[in-house]
Amino acid sequence: MVASLFDPSEENKAIWVLLESAGVELTDVSFELLAKGRELADEVDWPLAGVLIGDRLEHLNSQVLSHQADEVLLLEHPLLEAFTVDAYTQALYAAIMERIPSVILFGATPNSRDIAGRLAVRLRTGLNADCIDLRMDKDRGVLISDVTGFGGGVVALLEMPDHRPQLATVRPGVFHSLEASAPRSDKVRRAKVELDQSVIRTRIIEQVKGEGVSIGQAPVLVCGGRGISGNFEMLTELAELLGGDVGATRPPVDEGYIERERQVGQTGVICHPEIAINCGISGAFHFVVGIQDAEIIISINSDPNAPIFEFSDYCVVGDVEQILPALIQSLKEERVVTHA
Amino acid sequence: MESELSEPTYITLDDNLWGEILEATNGAAGPCFQCGVCTATCPWGIVREEDFTVRTLLRRAQIGSLEKVESLWLCTACAQCEASCPRGVPIAEVIRGLRYLLWKRRHVLPDLPTTLWSLYWNNNPWGQPPSQRTQWMGDLEVPLFDADRHEILLYIGCTPSFDRRAQNIARSLVKVLKASGVSFGILGEGEPCCGESALDLGHRPYFEELANKAVAVFYQNQVKKIVTISPHCYDVMQNEYPDDAEFEVHHYTQYLASLLQNNLLSFQNPLNHKVTYQDPCFLGRRNNEYDAPREVINSVPGISLLEMDRSGPETLCCGGGGGRMWMETPIGERFSDVRVREAASTSAEILVTSCPFCITCFEDSIKAESLNGLKVLDVAELAALALEELT
Repeated sequence: MVASLFDPSEENKAIWVLLESAGVELTDVSFELLAKGRELADEVDWPLAGVLIGDRLEHLNSQVLSHQADEVLLLEHPLLEAFTVDAYTQALYAAIMERIPSVILFGATPNSRDIAGRLAVRLRTGLNADCIDLRMDKDRGVLISDVTGFGGGVVALLEMPDHRPQLATVRPGVFHSLEASAPRSDKVRRAKVELDQSVIRTRIIEQVKGEGVSIGQAPVLVCGGRGISGNFEMLTELAELLGGDVGATRPPVDEGYIERERQVGQTGVICHPEIAINCGISGAFHFVVGIQDAEIIISINSDPNAPIFEFSDYCVVGDVEQILPALIQSLKEERVVTHA
Repeated sequence: MESELSEPTYITLDDNLWGEILEATNGAAGPCFQCGVCTATCPWGIVREEDFTVRTLLRRAQIGSLEKVESLWLCTACAQCEASCPRGVPIAEVIRGLRYLLWKRRHVLPDLPTTLWSLYWNNNPWGQPPSQRTQWMGDLEVPLFDADRHEILLYIGCTPSFDRRAQNIARSLVKVLKASGVSFGILGEGEPCCGESALDLGHRPYFEELANKAVAVFYQNQVKKIVTISPHCYDVMQNEYPDDAEFEVHHYTQYLASLLQNNLLSFQNPLNHKVTYQDPCFLGRRNNEYDAPREVINSVPGISLLEMDRSGPETLCCGGGGGRMWMETPIGERFSDVRVREAASTSAEILVTSCPFCITCFEDSIKAESLNGLKVLDVAELAALALEELT
């Protein structure tokens, strides 16, 4: 195996997490990274740095520090205002070469994945992709990553004892974030960023948000099958209360109750929601493959022998037309109470 | 036929493309003399107003044109056209070759690469964890294949391994084989995918890679005789695997028929039902096996087998072949809807078939057509029922 640019004897014992922001807030996965990074840093008693990259980002410092980073590392430059993978990689690479941290964590988001892969090649080091858990081996200062293989059938434990930095991307939504609390420090450092225009090869002219239906990323998916007799208004209401979206099996799509873009399954969309609620769905395999990766599957069906129950964490035997209105009602009441 | 006649009358020819198409299709379109029987017999004509113009595709393959060939994704490889072709053109083969050229140009339907990637990552087209390949067994005990102890390798295949409905076919067949006393084993988690879906979708080079891997596993295990559940696995192993492969391949209906002939198997439990039988294209027309499944069905006491008008070599495809299992078919254009109505019109209570893809399509269509009196069973399931004493 090729040696990395640094070996473990040269590293600075520190953990970095690369943060992303959307407008004035850090993204959810950034808070999750800070929480997990804090846990790892405490395991080995190393400092945790939250890395911000972009232009004019000071307003985010307090969020990073109140989520328990020991310091903020700012990489700011006018050419970093919009994300371009070349410029972001170059700026980060320079900062890493200067400071040689032992561990860097990234969210497994499209942009951070892109950066992490490029950095790993430039630094001749390894990258543990899409980790579902992380811990530190205290004695050796080695990061151990849990990575699922074979479609989730096995978990592999990966470590890189001889290469630095130790890079890992983590799946959004896997770790819990911490509530903001009193900062541990107010330390903000700026890394030197030298870039020139030649590194910018793409220019964003306009950002257009697609208006099409996209259920693949919905955190909560309420799916309806033949058994709901086309009553998608009820499902939509439930989905809205839960901050989710609505999907369907093939029959209601065929019957014209709902658009084809919402069809879940082998010949529709493969979804990975946190929660899937299946209403009046028997569980044909063609459908099941589109929903089985959901973290929690709740199914409501009047037939106790429906195959869908085999794939479900929670099985509700009963009439959707009776159960959903009651669920919707109690969610609304709860909401009123919370807001009171 | 209007659309076929209104095709443009001129076309720009490209010698390089012509050569490429000639190679991809093995020149198989050459003998076609454009009579159009293929277009006329194609089952798409039953469900669509606009024909699937097979004849035009063949013409394009002859002259070297890839314009307006997107319709080739419709082909279910049912071989109805081949059965009628007076020139003996292997038409489905030509279409697979043209599909490969679209793969090379990255001009395929959006979800199809996912299916090939799943073969690569998961060793099955269903996106299922390979570690769960033996889940179908439930509480059945089936030994891993051992050449010293086992006469046959029971090849389960991907769909009966993972599809909950099709798993019951595998379990039923195991019960029947156990009752016959024949010695058999499986490859368990080590069972390779046969690669059929890659070939059916037109990606022959990747299919060949998968086929070579599978053959290597069979050799390593010193397999001499394979019995498959799906006619699709059977078809590729029989017709597409290397000619010098040193193992025989049987579809399980053929194997059960031979057990019955040798008095190693008999059915005691009468099933007093009227049934009809769907000849799966990949067993019937593509492999000329019409008798074996009927022998098994007719060996069950009490059964009366009613034939549909289109049966044997005239069978109507369920719509799931040719990679169509991995594509969406609009409502109103599903062959299986037509076929379950035909089955019901025989007054049969059970539509029996011997292919897991047929079962998926038919059960969907029975619900869609509200033909609640009609059940779908696999020949293996029927055979298992005929073994069991009803209490």
